Amino acid sequence: MAASIVCGRTSMFFRSLNGISCSKTLLSANSQTLLLQTASYNPKPLRLKLREPYIPDRSSEKTPDWQKTPRYDRKLFGRYGSASGIDPASLWPNHEQLERIIEEENQWHPPLEVMLKNLQEEERQDTEKRQAKEKLIAANMAKMPKMIADWRKEKLQKKTKMNEEKTRRSKLLAEARESLGQTLDPRNHKFLEMVAELEKEEKKKQKVMKKKQKHEQAAVPPPPPPPVAAP
Amino acid sequence: MSFPKKPGKALDILKNLPRITLANLRPEPGSIKADKRLGRGQHGGNRSGRGHKGQRQRGNRPRLGFEGGHTPFYLSIPKYGYNEGHSLRPQYQPLSLKRLQYLIDLGRVDPSQPIDLTQLVNGRGVTIQPLKRDYGVQLVDEGADIFAAKINIEVQRASEGAIAAIERNGGVITTGFYDPISLGILIKPVPFFLRGQPIPKRMLPGQDMVPFYTDAENRGYLADPEKIQQARLALAQKYGYILPDISKDELYHMLAMRKDVRQIFFGLAPGWVVNMSEKKILKPTDEKLLKYYRS
Repeated sequence: MAASIVCGRTSMFFRSLNGISCSKTLLSANSQTLLLQTASYNPKPLRLKLREPYIPDRSSEKTPDWQKTPRYDRKLFGRYGSASGIDPASLWPNHEQLERIIEEENQWHPPLEVMLKNLQEEERQDTEKRQAKEKLIAANMAKMPKMIADWRKEKLQKKTKMNEEKTRRSKLLAEARESLGQTLDPRNHKFLEMVAELEKEEKKKQKVMKKKQKHEQAAVPPPPPPPVAAP
Repeated sequence: MSFPKKPGKALDILKNLPRITLANLRPEPGSIKADKRLGRGQHGGNRSGRGHKGQRQRGNRPRLGFEGGHTPFYLSIPKYGYNEGHSLRPQYQPLSLKRLQYLIDLGRVDPSQPIDLTQLVNGRGVTIQPLKRDYGVQLVDEGADIFAAKINIEVQRASEGAIAAIERNGGVITTGFYDPISLGILIKPVPFFLRGQPIPKRMLPGQDMVPFYTDAENRGYLADPEKIQQARLALAQKYGYILPDISKDELYHMLAMRKDVRQIFFGLAPGWVVNMSEKKILKPTDEKLLKYYRS
């Protein structure tokens, strides 16, 4: 009873293999040799529903248009084969359709070599861009120490100039205080007049100094040329 | 993998049990849940679990997400392009090695023949929806430690660990590209044959996927076979196993079977018409057609 169950189960499994018969499996099960009790997977049977073929009458007007199209004809052939009465040569594209298909494929599906070339081209362009950028960065970085030094010098100069300004102004203030006996506000008009006078005197002194220098320079060069011109 | 060496005590017990009838059967406790019957009796009746008056009882509640009038949460968060172009992103259904081993053990997938997406779908191992931007199946290395089957498998993507696990057991793995039409034909071959169309050529991958399929690291079907062999050795060194020599295997012929770049099915070339009712294959004889289907 239980054995029949076993036989039934194993027979269901081995039916799909189309090999071993039921009795053999029973014997092997009883003799306890290496019987692999695998669970079986039984898919639902494929119901293709290929019974009486309905082939529409192409000549009559009552049949709907969609049953006269080549697409429907192909489906009829697929379901019923030669019993559908359709020329199998019509399943493949004719020459014009084939040409159109080939054109479309060449446009939209380039061959592998073309794609690889495009990829190489893209990669080359990317590397070029990247290298150009890196070169630019390297060049600019090489300039950096000099630029930093220049900037620092400039800063130092500004600082010293500021300090000089400060000392000058304090001196002037002190002089003004001595001369007038009061601490003046730098914005006061008397102080400004004094400053202007002092500047004028300084300018005159500088002009005199410059004139002296020019005379000295003019005195030095003339001697050499005349001795050459004589002979 | 987990079979008993010989039928044990369970079979002896089974032989002595009585016949199975409806009187001997009972559903698994917790599998059948009783229906909810409103309007019957003390507990199901009166207000039937709807509460007291108002929108709740009268079924007039506002839409999901409504928060009484102020800007709801789902509108107050600003948009960001997480889902932008999601319908243009190829998706690959994951298949773990654990599931693959399970399918092989149960006999749903035959390891003595090359394993293809068709075989996986026939064994209901994976479900592919080409219309939802699925481009195939990807092998994931969950269960790589328990995987022990020598197979020749073709998937669309595979992780490095999965490739290592398959090659460690003496198998062969290839990654191949199927364009959406070919994929639809691959997963449902019989409905395609009933359409009466000639088998189309498989198209090449797009330019962005060509580097993936020409790479030997991914075992691409467009890659150089020598580079693939080198990659196999390198991977064996990386993961620390000895690469078994396939050429000395008795199943070498099966393991070496690979599809042509334009082929969808093993044993069927593009351009052929397969007729299921008469079990015949029709091949074209016109030169131009032959030239097109062979290019």
